[in-house]
Amino acid sequence: MPYLGGKEAVKELRRALSNPNIQADPLRYRNTVLRVIRMMSQGADVSSLFSEMVKACATVDVVQKKLVYIFLCSYATLNPELSLLVVNTLRKDCQDPNPMVRSLALRSMTNLRLPSLVEYVEQPLTAGLRDRAACVRRVAVLGWAKLSNLQPAADLDAAVVNELYSLLRDPDPVVVVNCLRALEEILKEEGGVVINKPITHHLLKRLKDCDVWGQCEVLRVLQRYRPQSDDELFDILSLLDPSLVSPHPPVMAATLSLFLSLCSDLPAVSLAALERVRGPLLSACGSSSREMRFAALCHVQLLLRSVPGLLGEHYKRFFCGYAEPAFIKQRKMQVLVELVNDDNVGMLLDELKGYCTDVSMDTAQTAIAAIAVVQTMRDLVWVCPQCSDTVCSALEGCEETLQDDQGRQALLWLLGVYGERLTSAPYTLEVFIDGVRSEASLGVKMELLTAAVRLFLTRPAEMQDMLGRLLHFCIEEERDMCVRDQALLYYRLLHCGIEETRKVLQGRRSDPSLGVLIGRQAEPISQWASSFNTMDALKKAAVETETASRGSPEHVATKLKADLDLPKTLDCCPDDALHSGESDSFSRT
Amino acid sequence: SRQGGLSVLPKDTAAEFSVRSRDRTYVVLAGQVLICRNYKGDVDMAEIDHFMPLLMQHEEEGLVSPVISHGSVHFLWIKHSNLYLVATTNKNSNASLVYSFLYKIVEVFTEYFKELEEESIQDNFVVVYELLDELMDFGFPQTTDSKILQEYITQEGAKLEVAKSKVPTTVTNAVSWRSEGIKYKKNEVFIDVIESINVLVNANGSVMSSDIVGSIKLKTMLSGMPELRLGLNDRVLFALTGRDKGKTVVMEDVKFHQCVRLSRFESDRTISFIPPDGESELMSYRINTHVKPLIWIESVIEKFSHSRVEIMVKAKGQFKKQSVANNVEVRVPVPSDADSPKFKTSTGNAKYVPEKNLVVWTIKSFPGGKEFLMRAHFGLPSVENDEAEGKPPITVKFEIPYFTVSGIQVRYMKIIEKSGYQALPWVRYITQSGDYQLRTNV
Repeated sequence: MPYLGGKEAVKELRRALSNPNIQADPLRYRNTVLRVIRMMSQGADVSSLFSEMVKACATVDVVQKKLVYIFLCSYATLNPELSLLVVNTLRKDCQDPNPMVRSLALRSMTNLRLPSLVEYVEQPLTAGLRDRAACVRRVAVLGWAKLSNLQPAADLDAAVVNELYSLLRDPDPVVVVNCLRALEEILKEEGGVVINKPITHHLLKRLKDCDVWGQCEVLRVLQRYRPQSDDELFDILSLLDPSLVSPHPPVMAATLSLFLSLCSDLPAVSLAALERVRGPLLSACGSSSREMRFAALCHVQLLLRSVPGLLGEHYKRFFCGYAEPAFIKQRKMQVLVELVNDDNVGMLLDELKGYCTDVSMDTAQTAIAAIAVVQTMRDLVWVCPQCSDTVCSALEGCEETLQDDQGRQALLWLLGVYGERLTSAPYTLEVFIDGVRSEASLGVKMELLTAAVRLFLTRPAEMQDMLGRLLHFCIEEERDMCVRDQALLYYRLLHCGIEETRKVLQGRRSDPSLGVLIGRQAEPISQWASSFNTMDALKKAAVETETASRGSPEHVATKLKADLDLPKTLDCCPDDALHSGESDSFSRT
Repeated sequence: SRQGGLSVLPKDTAAEFSVRSRDRTYVVLAGQVLICRNYKGDVDMAEIDHFMPLLMQHEEEGLVSPVISHGSVHFLWIKHSNLYLVATTNKNSNASLVYSFLYKIVEVFTEYFKELEEESIQDNFVVVYELLDELMDFGFPQTTDSKILQEYITQEGAKLEVAKSKVPTTVTNAVSWRSEGIKYKKNEVFIDVIESINVLVNANGSVMSSDIVGSIKLKTMLSGMPELRLGLNDRVLFALTGRDKGKTVVMEDVKFHQCVRLSRFESDRTISFIPPDGESELMSYRINTHVKPLIWIESVIEKFSHSRVEIMVKAKGQFKKQSVANNVEVRVPVPSDADSPKFKTSTGNAKYVPEKNLVVWTIKSFPGGKEFLMRAHFGLPSVENDEAEGKPPITVKFEIPYFTVSGIQVRYMKIIEKSGYQALPWVRYITQSGDYQLRTNV
């Protein structure tokens, strides 16, 4: 391939570009320029052809011009002086009768990103704002934003800002939206474009002319507006109503975001808006694009924080497809947990049980899916205590698929709490206990201790021997302080008698319904409204699931009401200051 | 909602040519960035070099997410054929808008190059650059309608004759999606009503979810600036006008091409528009209703460890006797270590596709009400494969012409042009399988 020739090829191109015969033949000239661009795209350094390429832009061939401008914009910052040579051609092109050439020249001029060129660019940009072709005005408007990025805002003529404000009334919707964008950029120090009543009403009127991107931009900017009266507010809301159920998820989300900011003092109206978006939101969750589906699911999670019952009857929409990627399956399962109620719990568990074994080929994904399922089940009994029987029957057989610490911890928690109804529980625990010597995870060991003691309380005959072995190992051989402390604690507790142990381990904190009351109250919308329709929504949810999956739900609940529970805290968090104090007193033995 | 930059990377990492031009318009091939455009200059485009390693790392951990962050820079990415399209931003952007834009790019490129893949980008990179310049400026989406773009960016323009310096009418036109002065000898419109059905059936035979996704496509060959009006048996419309005869359909999530006057549809459900020339999708809709699965599958899959798998599949056409499903394909999963296949079918052909671990049973023509049977027998090795295998569902593909499962009908298509010509509308109905899955027990 030619570009591998490197320097030779560049030399050859230079000769060709300066060859008068080639310059005289438009087609050959263009092809030579094209070869330069091709080399550039393929990685060769063709910056040394700069002056030849500058000459090549003096042509009537629009395609050749575009090619040359691609080149110039790529290398301008390397050759600021030579770039000045281009300015004349560019300025001449700004006068071209063809609007395509005019807009191309203006765009390229501002894309050179050279502060030294600013003084030459201002005049054509000013003229561009008044150009009769919309495509030139579009470019000129954004050109000013680019310019203000190159030089301090103070240098920008106030007249330009005024002109941009007046162009908000341009007949072309893209020009209008670009004006908003440019003013936001230019005036960012002062808080962005001023959104007053006339501008707001004008923009709302033009909303329908804009494409999806424009609508989202307008809706976002309008969030800064505060209506002066309730009448005005409701006028605006009814104007926005069709956008709220827009089939385009970004428009729907942007409108909802605006609704929530306009109605921050009117919770009832906000709730009504959430109800209204249910349909479009559900269809976004079924979008053919998996990324859109993911984004929609993350936003559903936000909404459910305030309106837990919003999607209850639509739970089937959140069943996982076989080939869906893990990131979607996990979100769907998290949503499913939120949607559980007395009517659908059986169906839901059946479905979840299917996921445990119905896993995709990839092993990493297998593990992830299974962990998520078991965690989901654990959360499920936490949220919905009456379904624990069904969970128990669903649990059998899924321990083999679990490979991850968090998943195993969740399983152990379930075995400890519901093991009395699960015939195989002691045997499953025995496998864990026999393997404790080679167990690497601290969390698993501690969860195992708790589970074994708990199960001992309900099934002493089967558990006594293995609990003894486990405690012996943890007290005598275990190296980790935390595990040893916890084992000692349980050992002493058992010495105090079964009733005492029962009081501590099956105390009120273990009552799942309490967890529901503590952790799962409907939050006010304002808690999440600001992160709605931003990337935060996608990330925040991820962080939350991470903390939620650290240990059993009790651990989470404990943190929430740490003050109340201190005397009874048995959950061993390695970083728990109080606990280390406790452990000191115990490890004196 | 603004992107710092956009990159297209090939999926298969191989040899590299890392190219970097100062303006941060990168074109890097094979394993590196293929095409790159830095719209704003606020994100260092060298950041994109972190994308592939991060993605691969996350893939290994099984924690892939559509947002990948590196420091303060976020990569929002989608995958298309052998490419990754990556938007780079350091703002708290509106993610769904960014994904929409990436998909829009895929749509535009696909309309230009038929296939969007590494080869087509390399073969057309001049056009690709031109398009990227028009699609977005300074990180803001600009012209994204491919009909408009095709008016002034053509592949021929980059290849052959000296470009015409003709000003495209759509740039200045009031009707941006249609040029003036279009002429046809014979004026015709072809209307395709295509419905895809999505079904998920549980292993015990209960339908977990089903819906219909419909699309009305036009091929317009009309002169001048015609005004069109489309009448459907839309239930809301019939209720509005007080008519209540015959079958009507309730549509949800109706999306229109930008040419349709939305305000008219909202006020009186009239679908009126000046159509784009040539092929376009006029509208799409979804009908969320319980559909009887048109092709019903019953399967018995028995796995005898270390020896064999026996598969029996019964397919039944649950649609009218007058209709015929064409090119029916029933895809039945088999264990990856199965061997020596044997088949018996009452009709059609069964074929083993080992690379996909499937038996594909093809029936060219499947009349409604009929029932067919396929039996398959596979050997299993005596040493079992210990890798966990999933339980992939049975999937079905089919196409039923002259029939819509929702019962939607084109009642009329009125075509009015000021020159007063007579034009003929042609309507065609097709129902096809969408995401059509039946779970199995094994």
